[in-house]
Amino acid sequence: MSKKFITPVGDEGIYTLDTGSWRTFKPVMLKEKCTNCGLCMIFCPVGSITGDENKIYEIGYQYCKGCGICARECPTKAIIMVRESIE
Amino acid sequence: MNTNQNRIVAISGNKSAAMGAALSRPDLIAAYPITPQSSVVESLAQMIAQGDLNSTMIQVESEHSAMSVVQGAAVAGGRTFTATSAQGLALMYEPYFRMSTLRLPMVMAIATREMTSPETVWSGQQDAVSVRDAGWIQVYVENNQEILDMIIQGYKIAEHPDVLLPVNVCYDGFYLSHLTERVEIPHQPAVDDFLGVYHADHVSLDPDTPMAVDPLTSGEILWRYRKGHLDAMQKALQVIEQTDDAFEQVFGRRYGGVIDTYKMDDADFVIVTMGATTGTAREAVDVARSLGMKIGLLKVRFLRPFPDKKIREILSGKQGFVVIDKNVCFGWNTGVLYMEIKAAISELGHPISSMPAIGGLGGADISVDQLVTCIQVLVKQGSQQPGQLDTYWFQ
Amino acid sequence: MNYIDLIRQSEDLVTAGMSACQGCGAELCLRRVLQVAGRNTILSIPPGCMAGAGVVGWNFDNGLKIPVHIPLLDNTASFLSGVTNMYQRKNRPDVNIIAFAGDGATADCGFQSLSGAAERGEKLLYICYDNEGYMNTGFQRSSTSSKGSRTSTTPVGKVQDGKSQNQKYMPLIMAMHNVEYVATASPSNMKDMVDKVTKGIQASKKGFAYIHIFSPCPTGWGHETDQTIEVARKAVKSNFFPLFEVEQGKWKLLDNKNPIPVSDLLNLLRKFSHLSPDDIAQIQELVDKRMDLLRKLSAA
Ligand SMILES: Cc1ncc(C[n+]2csc(CCOP(=O)(O)OP(=O)(O)O)c2C)c(N)n1
Ligand code: SF4
Ligand code: SF4
Ligand code: SF4
Ligand SMILES: [Mg+2]
Repeated sequence: MSKKFITPVGDEGIYTLDTGSWRTFKPVMLKEKCTNCGLCMIFCPVGSITGDENKIYEIGYQYCKGCGICARECPTKAIIMVRESIE
Repeated sequence: MNTNQNRIVAISGNKSAAMGAALSRPDLIAAYPITPQSSVVESLAQMIAQGDLNSTMIQVESEHSAMSVVQGAAVAGGRTFTATSAQGLALMYEPYFRMSTLRLPMVMAIATREMTSPETVWSGQQDAVSVRDAGWIQVYVENNQEILDMIIQGYKIAEHPDVLLPVNVCYDGFYLSHLTERVEIPHQPAVDDFLGVYHADHVSLDPDTPMAVDPLTSGEILWRYRKGHLDAMQKALQVIEQTDDAFEQVFGRRYGGVIDTYKMDDADFVIVTMGATTGTAREAVDVARSLGMKIGLLKVRFLRPFPDKKIREILSGKQGFVVIDKNVCFGWNTGVLYMEIKAAISELGHPISSMPAIGGLGGADISVDQLVTCIQVLVKQGSQQPGQLDTYWFQ
Repeated sequence: MNYIDLIRQSEDLVTAGMSACQGCGAELCLRRVLQVAGRNTILSIPPGCMAGAGVVGWNFDNGLKIPVHIPLLDNTASFLSGVTNMYQRKNRPDVNIIAFAGDGATADCGFQSLSGAAERGEKLLYICYDNEGYMNTGFQRSSTSSKGSRTSTTPVGKVQDGKSQNQKYMPLIMAMHNVEYVATASPSNMKDMVDKVTKGIQASKKGFAYIHIFSPCPTGWGHETDQTIEVARKAVKSNFFPLFEVEQGKWKLLDNKNPIPVSDLLNLLRKFSHLSPDDIAQIQELVDKRMDLLRKLSAA
């Protein structure tokens, strides 16, 4: 916006927090158990699980907060929660 | 009818406000009835129903929503109008403050009224002066012609790129809202030409240009918006004068910009007014002069931005002044305009006597005789001592 | 399209990282709602957890990829009334005008403006995410907090046992406004929610649409962060949060013929941990009564 400091507006970028650093447990997908149903993606509040055109689902860790919903809702128990290691 | 001819009609102040708004062709109007403003929206509704005005009118359930609806329309790029009084203004305070701090230009007419309690529906200026620090421009007018003209000028001032602030056109409830006077109705194309098309390029809610309007803002940054707002107010002082000049060129009427004066040149004492009392005060000045008092009139038109410099210039060299306030300034034993002028003359450079006067509350009349008596008190006491005189109450 | 494919293929329009708590039901619903709505949308999010979590942005940045404004806590519906009317005037009725507001902004502070906009039939979709309290200000009670809820203003003490009043039931109040579309939705039933949001947006082209979403709040309600969907599911299965829709006056109720006891839900939530068997029986009775009423309404 050319006219700065008139009306407060946010148009320079997307405000993004590093929520991945909140995690104490990390969801890990066990591919062999996964049936590619997509429910983990549907229920992830953070949008951290994405699926490609072949309906292969993947967990992205950059913003995953480690809530564990995906693990609990997976019908085949294909996601397990693993404690984050302290580096 | 020759459409190039200005029409001359006899109409009430409310009707004049409605016609001023209609001539400015707002995209959207939202308002809620309250005495003494109600007939403004009724008139506009009538014009829309007759197909004479192509505005969207939203019949809201409260003034809070009236201001909110026009806020939404303004963020979406619309020119908007509303009108209110007293309790309605109080109810809309939250979105009212936001309208100015979001820098959304619009015009709102206020048919000014005393605030409850005691329960009252009659005239006064307590409503409008109480929101003087909410960031709006406020003009107080003297007669029905000035209502119409200032609504049109109001849009021009509000939408000026150096200003971008909402404007209140304040006129005394009943004394003007319900008084019938001669008003010249300008020619629509001339108004269209004068105002031009409003285009908001400082903010918009539009999927084509996605932005967050009003993100959470930290204190390190917030002050810049406030400073910009104060700067815009100061720039408005010039824009008001320019607009008055431009208006005169097209429509042949001028109001003096931020202030107006009457018989000021050789005056030793000054009566200061704001709003419809000015008309009465003009007569009182004539009477007082016929009684040998060298009195002039200062009509303060804009309370926000406050024309402190102009007022200092006018009062410079004078012996004393009285300020007629149709409102009170709680915490000071005076009215609001008096305190504002007091602040403005702190750098006058010479002693001056001043008298706060309070009257016209809750619709009480202030007559020519009463003003003349008040002037006599000022001249008598003011000739004897400089400084602040006792507050004069019109009884 | 299958709802899972639809979500998989739709762009997430919310910032990747916002400060809503782990397992927040509202964050989940906001993302899914905007995936259905798409980019041609203007959103209003009043003060509350979602705005507080950064969705309306910070300083010069936006928290969304679409235009968004934070209206006042109490004027979301009237603010959007102005926006939608301008868009009708501009001949751009295709733009979706949507509110995503908490229960406080909806049922309390903003109730009057919401009712006014609904009565006027403003062309917009108003979504309430109901986490049964003022969460952003520290979990104080709201008029939609369920009876018995422990909140920071209805504490459990020697002489008081959480909220003593019944919940205000917004969905029915809105249905009685005779608007284009009213629905309840739960994140546990995501297909249903996606369908309803789609319908709500369509309805908003003709008039006012309202969707009331059950929005579990692990932090305020006291459940594990991974239980969000389970809590929502049990709320539906126990009839604690019945799912229905009213489309131009036509009712459709998801009727559980064999509901689970509400205690199955209440036992999951620490905000109800102080309840006695008697209290729970009372809540069960309220839930059954409301379900009976909804059955009658939907049969009529
Ligand atoms: C007029 C007004 N009063 C109070 C507040 C303070 N306030 C901000 S958010 C909030 C609670 C909102 O509750 P809700 O709408 O349920 O959203 P939640 O925080 O639960 O997501 C309150 C009371 C305010 N912003 N405006
Ligand atoms: S829910 Fe489980 S089975 Fe379904 S896609 Fe996710 S990991 Fe695979
Ligand atoms: S743990 Fe939570 S945030 Fe992380 S991927 Fe699973 S559902 Fe999403
Ligand atoms: S307090 Fe509740 S509603 Fe608010 S962000 Fe946290 S989980 Fe979500
Ligand atoms: Mg809430």
